[in-house]
Amino acid sequence: MASALEVLWVEKYRPRRLDDIVNQREVVERLKLFVKERNMPHLLFAGPPGTGKTTAAHALAYELFGENYRQFMLELNASDERGINVIREKVKEFARSRLPPEIPFKIVLLDEADNMTSDAQQALRRLMELYSSVTRFILIANYPSKIIDPIQSRCAFFRFQPLKKEDIVERLRYIAENEGVEYEEEALEAIYEISEGDMRKAINVLQAASFLGKVTVDSVYRVVGMARPREIREMLQAALRGDFMAARNMLRKIMIEYGLSGEDVVRQIHREIFSGELKIPEELRVVIADYLGEVHFRLVEGSDDDIQLGAFLAWLAMLSKKAGGARG
Amino acid sequence: MIRARAARALPWVIKYRPKRIDDVVDQDKAKNILIPWVKSWLEGRIPEKRAALLYGPPGVGKTSLVEAIANEYDLEVLELNASDYRRRSDIERIVGVAARRRSMFKRGVIILLDEVDGINPREDAGGVEALVNVIRETRNPIVMTANDPWKDHLRPLRELSLLVEFKALTVNQIVGLLQRICRAEGIECDREALRFIAERSEGDVRAAINDLQAVAEGYGKVTASIVRMVVRGREKSVEIWKTLSEVYYYPRYAWKVKKAVQQSEKDYEELIAWLNDNTPRKYEHPADIWRALDALSRATLFLSRAKYGGEWSLLSYVFDLMGPGVAFARQDGGVSRARYGYPERIKLLAQMREVREVRERIAEILSRRLLTSKSTVKREVLPLIIALYRESRDTPRLAALALSYGFDEKMVGYLAGPRKAEILRAMQRLKKLRAEERAKATEARTERVEARRPGREEKPRGPVGLDFFLGGGRGRRGRRR
Repeated sequence: MASALEVLWVEKYRPRRLDDIVNQREVVERLKLFVKERNMPHLLFAGPPGTGKTTAAHALAYELFGENYRQFMLELNASDERGINVIREKVKEFARSRLPPEIPFKIVLLDEADNMTSDAQQALRRLMELYSSVTRFILIANYPSKIIDPIQSRCAFFRFQPLKKEDIVERLRYIAENEGVEYEEEALEAIYEISEGDMRKAINVLQAASFLGKVTVDSVYRVVGMARPREIREMLQAALRGDFMAARNMLRKIMIEYGLSGEDVVRQIHREIFSGELKIPEELRVVIADYLGEVHFRLVEGSDDDIQLGAFLAWLAMLSKKAGGARG
Repeated sequence: MIRARAARALPWVIKYRPKRIDDVVDQDKAKNILIPWVKSWLEGRIPEKRAALLYGPPGVGKTSLVEAIANEYDLEVLELNASDYRRRSDIERIVGVAARRRSMFKRGVIILLDEVDGINPREDAGGVEALVNVIRETRNPIVMTANDPWKDHLRPLRELSLLVEFKALTVNQIVGLLQRICRAEGIECDREALRFIAERSEGDVRAAINDLQAVAEGYGKVTASIVRMVVRGREKSVEIWKTLSEVYYYPRYAWKVKKAVQQSEKDYEELIAWLNDNTPRKYEHPADIWRALDALSRATLFLSRAKYGGEWSLLSYVFDLMGPGVAFARQDGGVSRARYGYPERIKLLAQMREVREVRERIAEILSRRLLTSKSTVKREVLPLIIALYRESRDTPRLAALALSYGFDEKMVGYLAGPRKAEILRAMQRLKKLRAEERAKATEARTERVEARRPGREEKPRGPVGLDFFLGGGRGRRGRRR
């Protein structure tokens, strides 16, 4: 027992077969038809995060190709590799490669496809036409509107429903029981609230809370709070006190200790600005968010993290000076 | 006639190279350190530091002194111009061999590596490390020269070497040397002309001799009026302190500040780092700091557009914003007397890069196993895991998790911070325990059962990619549950 294995539960409890997928009945039934016929069109899976899109794609491939299905599938994540070169090189090479005799077609799985540049999408569209006899594409997106029309029209569209509270709580309960974790019923509901219908997030929070002992409402909120570096708030408070140097030192510490990029830090700041824990006048939150948006935009365009965020902190320090530096 | 021409063809800097130690102008301090060190080698006592690093501005006699010493003590100089041999393989092959060699005709061998500060940490990857290894083992003295020994990546060399500083020469010392050369060449020189040349050389003997030769050969004599006409100041780069002062202290004209940043000895990226760190030191009013940093961040924006978009004409705006942009940002407050500081950022960036690489590797492992993007992992999963590794007391479970995903020491360090050692120890214990259990299990059961358990601490079984189709395959995925 002391040497028991510990794997992330999102991995351990991921449904392998279509029938194991929670509450996407309609989608699952249609996908099962493809398995039965051993044929399918290009597919577009759309829906909120954590509703089973990627899982469904893998389960579908598993049922089509069997245990070693990943051999016959090219998996790309457009958030990590979004450029046109990936499409031109990796995807093209795979799509036109020889078809192994034991399968009816190969699959290209493009996850988070809504993050693809429009150039890349145009290139993709050509490949979908050219090699459709041997390769089928499954595109996954949170926002299907960001997929160009010509691609949408070439795909069978599947909308994944947001998961209901019962679905998530049920699954959490199943996992907790199976893992022998002690829990309060209300804690599972709290996790649902935090997860916003995202199963992956929910399971991660459950597992994380279980590391602190019995899973209670309190431990759930504690673990979620822990996951946000408190230094972010301290940094903002220092800047708003007018202490630019202290704030910038904290900024650098955060970036080094957590290896965060400028954009990561901006996202955290953004969440912090609207949190009640940061005591500032409400109208100021809007003003700060506005400038933060500009900062974010420049970072995306390529300005330097440390300098750009330094400028942001100096700006906060300046605001406090204008306001008489009275705020704490 | 022929003789004269042959003599003329030889550059004076070579012709008048010091033959003996006393010919090397000044640098007594350097001589007092270096000569005993070389003697110690000759007497068969290998000194604690097996290499010497001679540093100082160009043209002050670093290489000359080494050659003069070799000449006087009958040593063979193996000069390896570092511009040719900088990569790991070259250094191991060439310098490594030289380090073990014995001289056939002379009393000993001295290895001279010129301009080690030219080793580029990116292009000549592993060069410094290779050199460090050679120095540790060498049987012959290794002497290196550098203009700027304080570059970050040279630190390992600095630590291993006897540091010998060379000073810029004074105007009078250079004038004296030029006079000796004029006499030897039988050329008429007036002292004022030599003074002018010496001043323009800014302590660089080599530059001064070259100027003297240019005038003498072109005009047959060296007079003040000719020299003034011919010898112009070299396009000398401006020291960082001067550049910063031009920016921070009451600038009057934008064009002047821009020129100052363009002429800086530092390249623009380094200079931006200097400005970024020194602005909050020098400017007292937050609004001034903000305006300056905002301009600076826009400078980096233009810089990245120039670099990644290939639009190098945009570079001009980079200078506009980093020079005048910072200089004229000061509108509300004064300038502090605080001293300039070396930008911490340069060190910082290296640290950040390292942490980010580790983070990236963890994200890579998890994204393959959790079937989600690295960015989602970094955004959603990593923060939770980091929190657990720092706050949860359930060490055995944390260790098991690390083993399941094959986290190495650096990754555990990233996740656990101060608790790194504790977690690593727990991982060791767990590994041992498992090995024992496995040994027991093999007696009872077959290995196959074990091999099918989920989450073994092995290579992540990722998706099979293109390489599978184009050639060799990869392992199959284990069965779950």
